[in-house]
Amino acid sequence: MTHLRVGILGSGAMAQTHLRAWRALDVPWLALHDRNLETATDLAHTYGAKVYDNAAELIRDCDVVDICLPTFLHLEAVMQVALAGKHIICEKPIALSTKEGMAMIQSCETAGVRLYIAMVLRFFPMYRRAAELALAGKLGTLQVLRLKRVGFPPHGGTSWFADDALSGGIVVDMMLHDIDYALWVAGDVVRVFARLTRTTTQQYAQAILTHSSGAITHIECGWAYQNGLFRTALDLVGDAGLLEWSSDAPPSSLRLPNTVEMIGAVPLPAISAASDPYTMQLQHAAHCLETGSPFEVTTQDAVRALNVALAVRSSALSGRAVMV
Amino acid sequence: MNAPVNAPARRVLKVAILGLAHVHTEGYISILKTLPGVELLGCAERDGIASSRTFEGVKMFSGVTALLEQRPDAVIICSETVFHRELVERAARAGAHILCEKPIATTLEDARIMQDACHTAGVNFMTAFPMRFDITLQHTRQTLQEGSLGAVLGIVGVNHSINPSSHDAWFADPILAGGGAVMDHTVHLTDLYRWFFKTEILEVYAALGHPLGSSVETSGILLVTLENGLHASIDCSWSRPAHYPRWGHLKMEIVCEKGVLVVDPFADHLTLFDTANPAPTWVSFAPDPNRAMLLAFLESVQKHLPPPVTWLDGYRTLQVALSAYTSSQTGQLERITSQEF
Ligand SMILES: NC(=O)c1ccc[n+]([C@@H]2O[C@H](COP(=O)([O-])OP(=O)(O)OC[C@H]3O[C@@H](n4cnc5c(N)ncnc54)[C@H](O)[C@@H]3O)[C@@H](O)[C@H]2O)c1
Repeated sequence: MTHLRVGILGSGAMAQTHLRAWRALDVPWLALHDRNLETATDLAHTYGAKVYDNAAELIRDCDVVDICLPTFLHLEAVMQVALAGKHIICEKPIALSTKEGMAMIQSCETAGVRLYIAMVLRFFPMYRRAAELALAGKLGTLQVLRLKRVGFPPHGGTSWFADDALSGGIVVDMMLHDIDYALWVAGDVVRVFARLTRTTTQQYAQAILTHSSGAITHIECGWAYQNGLFRTALDLVGDAGLLEWSSDAPPSSLRLPNTVEMIGAVPLPAISAASDPYTMQLQHAAHCLETGSPFEVTTQDAVRALNVALAVRSSALSGRAVMV
Repeated sequence: MNAPVNAPARRVLKVAILGLAHVHTEGYISILKTLPGVELLGCAERDGIASSRTFEGVKMFSGVTALLEQRPDAVIICSETVFHRELVERAARAGAHILCEKPIATTLEDARIMQDACHTAGVNFMTAFPMRFDITLQHTRQTLQEGSLGAVLGIVGVNHSINPSSHDAWFADPILAGGGAVMDHTVHLTDLYRWFFKTEILEVYAALGHPLGSSVETSGILLVTLENGLHASIDCSWSRPAHYPRWGHLKMEIVCEKGVLVVDPFADHLTLFDTANPAPTWVSFAPDPNRAMLLAFLESVQKHLPPPVTWLDGYRTLQVALSAYTSSQTGQLERITSQEF
C-alpha cells in the first residue's frame, strides 16, 4: 500500500496499463492529463481517476508524475516536472539520444527529484527468474543468448511510432528491452551488427551483439505480425546449462475453444494470471520513492541500453558492424 | 514407398560406404538394407586405417582399394571432412557416382578438385542435404514460392545441437572437420535459404564464441543477405546440453508481410521416459528425410539423371561457412564473390 499521489501524463496504451497497475496498488490519489481530453476522460472513468485539463495543475497537485507520453515528448515533460520539484516515473526509452537522456538525468539531480525509467522487461517473471539464475552462475559462463520480441505495428503502423524522428524506430523503441536484458545478464557490449527491413507499415530487425566477455547475443524484433499476434522468447546458454522459454508455451489457464480476444492498439505481451509485471514495476518504484532506497534499474542502465540501441540502429542503416 | 525406382527391369545397384566417421553412417546403412534393388557391398575406411566400428550384417573391407575393386555403382562418403577429397578422387576414378556428406570439404580448393575429378570421370556428385527431402520444408518452400504471404521481411534460423566433442570428437577437430559449430551446422540452413528463393548468399556477418579450452568455436550467429535483398540469420551453435532430449533441432521462422511461418521439421515426436536414459528423450514419428534423400540419389544413378542436389550446392554453402570465419576475424561484413562454374 502506497501513500503516493500519482499523476499520469498521457492517455494512450501505456497510460492505461499504468492506470490499471496503480489501481491494483490501491493508491489514494490518482489523476491524469492528456491533450486528448476525451480519451483521458474515458480512461479516468473506467479506472476511477480524476481528469485535469491542465498539465501544470496536475503536476502541482501530485507527489509523483508518471510520464506515459510518446518518446519525443519525454525530454520536455521530464524537464517541466523536475522544475516543479516532483519525482518522475517515465516510460522507456528515456529519450531519443544519450545527450538528451544525460541532460534529463542532470536536471533531475539538480532539482533534487528522483527519476525512474520504466524498463519493465526486468519485471517480467520469466525474464527475471532467468536473469537471477544466470547471474547466480547456474548456467556457468554465458556463451550465447537468443532473445525474441515480435508484435504487430502499433496503431496500424501509422502513428508517431512509425516516425523514427519521434519514436527512435523499432530498435530504439522495442529492441531496447532485449538490449537492456542482454546487458543485464551478459554485461557490456563491444560490437553490434544489425539488419532491418521495412514495408510501408511494418518493420523487422535482427541484431547480433558481441559482449566484452566473448558471449554473443541474437535479438529478433519486429512490428511485423498481423494484428493481435505478439511473441517473445528467450534462450540463454552457458557452459554449464541452458534456459529455454517461449510465449508459445501454453498459459497457466486456457479457455477453449478460443474466444476472440481484445486487441489493443499497441502490442503488449500477454500477462500471466499470477503476476502483472507493470504492477510489480510500479510497486517497486513507489516503494523506492517512499523509502529512499535505490531503484533496481538506474538511469545509467537506461542510457547504456539506449547507447547500444543507437549503435544497433546505426549498423542497420549503414550495413556495417559498429563498435560501441 | 519402398522401391527406389518405378522403372521396369532395373538392374541391382551396388552401393558402398567410404569412411565411417559421420554420425549418419549407421542410419544410411539401416536404410540401405531395407531397399530392394540395392546391394550394399560393404564399408571401408581409407587404406591402412582399421575401422573401430562394425555394423551387423555388413561386410567390412580392409580399405577403400579393396572395396572399390568390387566396382560399386554408387558410393556414400561418410569420412571425416578433410578426407572427402581423397575418397571422392578414388571413387570417381573407379567410376562410382558419389553422395558426399556435408560440408563437402574443409577448403574451397579441395572442393574444386573434387568437382574436377568427378567431371573428368563422368560421374555424378551429390551433396548430402537431407533437409531438402523433408516434407515440412518442401511445403514451406512451396508456400513461399506461391507468394500468398506477400514479401518476406526476414528469416530467423537455428540449427542447434549438443556439443559433439564427447561422442564424435572429430567434429570438433580443426584439422579433421575444418572448424567447429560453423562448419558443422551453417551449411544446412544456408542451403535451405538458397533453395527456397533460388538465389545465392551475397553477404555474411558472423560472431563466433570460443570458450576457453576449446580448439574450435562452439557457438556462432550469422546474419546473411541473399541476392534478392532478404536478410536471414543462422544460429549454428552447439548450445544444447549433453542430456537434451534430442540431438538438437533445426527451426526457422519466416516473417512475411501477411503472416509468419513457424517451421519445426522435427516437431513430430513423442516424449519417451525409459530406464536406459536419465532424462526423457524425444522420439520422432515423422518420415525420415535421409531415406527420401537416398532414394533420390539412387534413382538419379539408376536413370542417369543429374543429381537432385549438386556439387555447386555444396560449394556455395561451404563458401558461406568459410566467410563466417573471415567475418568474425575482421569484425565486418564479408562479401561473397560468386564465381561461375
Ligand atoms: N514498456 C512497454 O511495454 C511499452 C510499450 C509501449 C510503449 N511504451 C512507451 O510508452 C510511451 C507511450 O507509448 P504509448 O504506447 O502509450 O503511446 P500511445 O500512442 O498509445 O499514447 C500516446 C499518448 O500521448 C498523448 N500525446 C500527447 N501529446 C502527443 C503528441 N504530440 N503526439 C502524439 N501523442 C501525444 C496521446 O494523446 C496519447 O494519449 C512511449 O515512450 C513508448 O515508447 C512502453
